[in-house]
Amino acid sequence: MSVKYVPVQWNRNKWIYDGVMLAGVGLFLWIFLSASPSILSHERAINPQVHNARAFGACAFLMLTVILCIGPLARLDERFLPLLYNRRHFGVMTVFVALTHASYILDWYFAFSMSDKYEALLFANTSFGQTAGFPFEVFGIFALIVLIILAATSHDFWMKFLTPPVWKRIHYLIYPAYIAVVAHVSLGILQDQQNQGFTVLFIAGAAAVGITHLLAALHERRKAAEIAGTPGQWVDICDASEMTEGFAKIKLLPNGERVAVFLMDGQLSAISNACAHQNGPLGEGRILDCLVTCPWHGFQYDVRTGRSPAPFTEMVPTYNLRLDGTRVRVDVNANAPGTPVDPVPLPAARATA
Amino acid sequence: MNQAEAILLGLRIWGSIGAIVAAVFLTIGMDRIDEDARGAYVFRPLLIPGVLVIWPLVLWRWHIYETGSEAPAKRYQPPRKAHFAVGMILPLAICVIILAGLNLRQTWPGQIAPMQLSQPAETSQ
Repeated sequence: MSVKYVPVQWNRNKWIYDGVMLAGVGLFLWIFLSASPSILSHERAINPQVHNARAFGACAFLMLTVILCIGPLARLDERFLPLLYNRRHFGVMTVFVALTHASYILDWYFAFSMSDKYEALLFANTSFGQTAGFPFEVFGIFALIVLIILAATSHDFWMKFLTPPVWKRIHYLIYPAYIAVVAHVSLGILQDQQNQGFTVLFIAGAAAVGITHLLAALHERRKAAEIAGTPGQWVDICDASEMTEGFAKIKLLPNGERVAVFLMDGQLSAISNACAHQNGPLGEGRILDCLVTCPWHGFQYDVRTGRSPAPFTEMVPTYNLRLDGTRVRVDVNANAPGTPVDPVPLPAARATA
Repeated sequence: MNQAEAILLGLRIWGSIGAIVAAVFLTIGMDRIDEDARGAYVFRPLLIPGVLVIWPLVLWRWHIYETGSEAPAKRYQPPRKAHFAVGMILPLAICVIILAGLNLRQTWPGQIAPMQLSQPAETSQ
């Protein structure tokens, strides 16, 4: 939410978030490398390079698994929203861990190759026509390339420049990447496990990602059905008595957009539910000091104008409102982002404090 | 030239074009299209990897900003429907792949013959 871009936007919460994350990575690597070799199939002698490669590979898988669980968990239960707050740093850190894994592999298995080690990686196993011994490396390469693309485009500039919908579509690549990682592990190290410990941990992690996404998808569909608006130019939102001071009602408009109608100081205002930053659900935020705060990353907007407070420049579309008796209705056609709209006062007796 | 060399050559060409785009965009283009970038220089090196990997998208978006052809409303239309597709496809794909991987295993831990690593207790005593 900068006026001028800075390399990394730090604040106290992000320092804490990153500190906990780095401590977790350090702890995982220490346990993997030192504390419990028997649990992780290290009974057979392996050299330090392979041991390190496995540690960083397992760490990258775990980090990716946690990252992917955060999104659906936050959709299912808002208590997980703090984990979403700085997930970007989590993702960038994952790329460095995954690159370290790849470096150990390249510098050990292909160190004495007759050709360039990157070429050797590509042609070392080309048995694409068979399932047993399938070149699982290709899945890892694909996932690593995707992770690099996502990390390289994670700065706020990219979201503004590409627009949130385009940026989001690019970042949907994380799903094929995770599937590729599951294939990389399933056709790779899983074939060589001598005890069940790693297998169980791997399947539990992947299952957590699958199940949380399934539950969140069903939850979202149910919610979309609940907030679906009626056709017509003026869409019915709710009865005025249902509005709560400082909070919003969200409605899915017939054109597919979502509007958030807020009650502030006994007056109604309506803005787009999609934050200009990452299209977070503004209607799930609450109003503080005349500004609604996006629950995802804390961007703020004046609900009467759709504008972030100066000196910030973000804007969202606003909507015209009217009261038909006690029914709150919204014009389906949005105003241009940042267009001021006079709030519609509620009769004092109807507003709930 | 073998296929591996061709792939790496393609990546080098992609990166080289990206480097040229990055040089022009980060020094000239960015100031023309984003007021928040004017006077802000320290963060620009962080964007170089991004331009290297998605430079065609950078050129496309740059063109849209320069020509003013963007529809503002599109900025506020997140691709929500994809959530449901992901929620269905992701668990299914994970199940299929893991089951395939397990099915391919040639030896299971239970099939590995036990091996005595040390002398029996009564002998060692």
